[in-house]
Amino acid sequence: MRADGSVRSEPADRPEQTRARYPDETGVIERDGVRVAWERYGDGSPTILLMPTWSIIHSRLWKQQIPDLARRHRVIAFDGRGNGRSARPPTAEAYAEAEFAADALAVMDATSTERAVVITLSMGAQRGLLLASDHADRVAGMVFIGPSLALQPRAPDREAVNEFLEPPVSDEGWAKYNAHSWRRDYRGFLEFFFSQCFSEAHSTKPIEDAVGWGLETDPETLILTELAPGIGDRDAILARCARVTCPVLVIHGGDDRITPHARGEALARATRGRLVTIEGGGHIPNARDPVKVNLAIRDFVGRLERLERLGRSS
Amino acid sequence: MIGAGPARSSDNGRARLPDADGMATGPDGVRIAYEVFGTGDPPIVFLPSAPIVHSRQWKGQVPYFSRRHRVVTYDGRGNGRSDRPTEPEAFADDRFVGDLAAVMDDTRTDRAVLVGLCSDGVWRAIRYAVEQPDRVLGIVAFAVGVPRLTPPHPHYVTATAAFEDDAPTHEGWARYNAPFWRHDYPDFARFFFEEITSEPHSTKAIDDAVEWSVGGSVDSMIADARVDFPLDREGVEAICSAVRCPMLIVHGTEDSCQPIARARRLSELTGAPLVEVEGADHMIPGRHPVLANLLIRDFVRSLARDPS
Repeated sequence: MRADGSVRSEPADRPEQTRARYPDETGVIERDGVRVAWERYGDGSPTILLMPTWSIIHSRLWKQQIPDLARRHRVIAFDGRGNGRSARPPTAEAYAEAEFAADALAVMDATSTERAVVITLSMGAQRGLLLASDHADRVAGMVFIGPSLALQPRAPDREAVNEFLEPPVSDEGWAKYNAHSWRRDYRGFLEFFFSQCFSEAHSTKPIEDAVGWGLETDPETLILTELAPGIGDRDAILARCARVTCPVLVIHGGDDRITPHARGEALARATRGRLVTIEGGGHIPNARDPVKVNLAIRDFVGRLERLERLGRSS
Repeated sequence: MIGAGPARSSDNGRARLPDADGMATGPDGVRIAYEVFGTGDPPIVFLPSAPIVHSRQWKGQVPYFSRRHRVVTYDGRGNGRSDRPTEPEAFADDRFVGDLAAVMDDTRTDRAVLVGLCSDGVWRAIRYAVEQPDRVLGIVAFAVGVPRLTPPHPHYVTATAAFEDDAPTHEGWARYNAPFWRHDYPDFARFFFEEITSEPHSTKAIDDAVEWSVGGSVDSMIADARVDFPLDREGVEAICSAVRCPMLIVHGTEDSCQPIARARRLSELTGAPLVEVEGADHMIPGRHPVLANLLIRDFVRSLARDPS
């Protein structure tokens, strides 16, 4: 018997860890020749769409949400272009935020998903906000975890230490956030970056997982994502927030070193949403504090369902 | 000299608080602090691995089993809220066995399943089961610590031979040394728990154990280490062979505290099934709580089905 309780050893060539829950259905959509792989778990209503975040990792980032949510909901996840089982197109334009949002719509269409509760992490907030503001009829509710939206400045140490494409001034700390540094020591960047994402004690496992997912793509792809068109400046973001009509939940770590807690506060204000703070939490609380995050999502979806029932009965 | 332990710092945020607590009195007057959780048969008593840690070592088990069972835990002499004697005779085997009996008496636990880890837990559970067979329904033995059953790991042989030596440097297992404990016990505790919890992603389990350890008594630790074990291999095997209750043995293949050969030998002597956990080190209940809990649960269920 092995320590995880299993008695069967996996074939050595299998790159993926054992999953607590396997998909009930998988598929691929294709837009402009770019293939994007999706998975469906469970059948319950409402459907929950798990958005991809920055392509530095892929849909396994939701590994601790899927088994819980799929007990009650139809859950759809997909690998963002640039990582996982999705394609790695060779141009920066292919990684525009609008493309990720269009992929999400295409996945919803391919799975006959009229509406969904959309859950995002970090950069996923940008494509999620595009979806919720341009296609309000498709979004029943939005959950933003550690939203990376430029509503507030970044922490001082995260402001550009050097130009992304210029040779870096050093190779320490955030100076690693640089194309040359990524090409020279990609793993070194991943280890640094995820050590900052997981600032909580006892995070060796989520760091190891995330570095492993990061190594499933490559620095050239990640450089393209960095150069891709975003969703505009603060005013453009606020204008989109004003067009969000669905209920919003923001979950933000109190010690988020990637995107400050103030951004989550600002987003909750701008969308008239509710803010749940994970005290002492880092940037990816769904991986580091999955029980707290899952319970907050459960509570939010439960209130959505009660609201919908009220709406129908009035 | 006997001093009562201070309140514990690690009591914040417990997943399950005790329904009752109290002090039992051991055979030599040493006070033993116990806690009782939940209701339901059969009761389960978790033995402490004292004096290096205290009853919080079972934090991954108590909330789960107290849903369906009456659970009793206690701090072994020398740590936690129990007294901390400093004479070697206070740490003789009989005293530990007497403490278990006192706790069972004081909590009115007539019969129970005993769960233990390492020598403090496993060997004393075996001795009690042989001396008081009517009071022990079964034993779950993690990381079998039965002295003399097989030779210890070589690093222990070397370290214990030099336990009293005041060496100029203390690298590796040379930290297992009385003068060094007096000099820098926290360093020993961290080294020790890092060594015996060698699986990846064990930082929390290690930090917990170090905290419980440094809250204990260095004098008690030294006194305990100075006790001469009174039996030879034949004597130990005779006691193991006399166990009549059902037993489950669980041992990690990478256990760097207790050799797995001891678990295999105990299994031969008793006929008890042995679960060898591939890749696991010493602290299976702390490091692999779900696995440990499911094994204990299935064992306890099997007792209920046993017509005897």
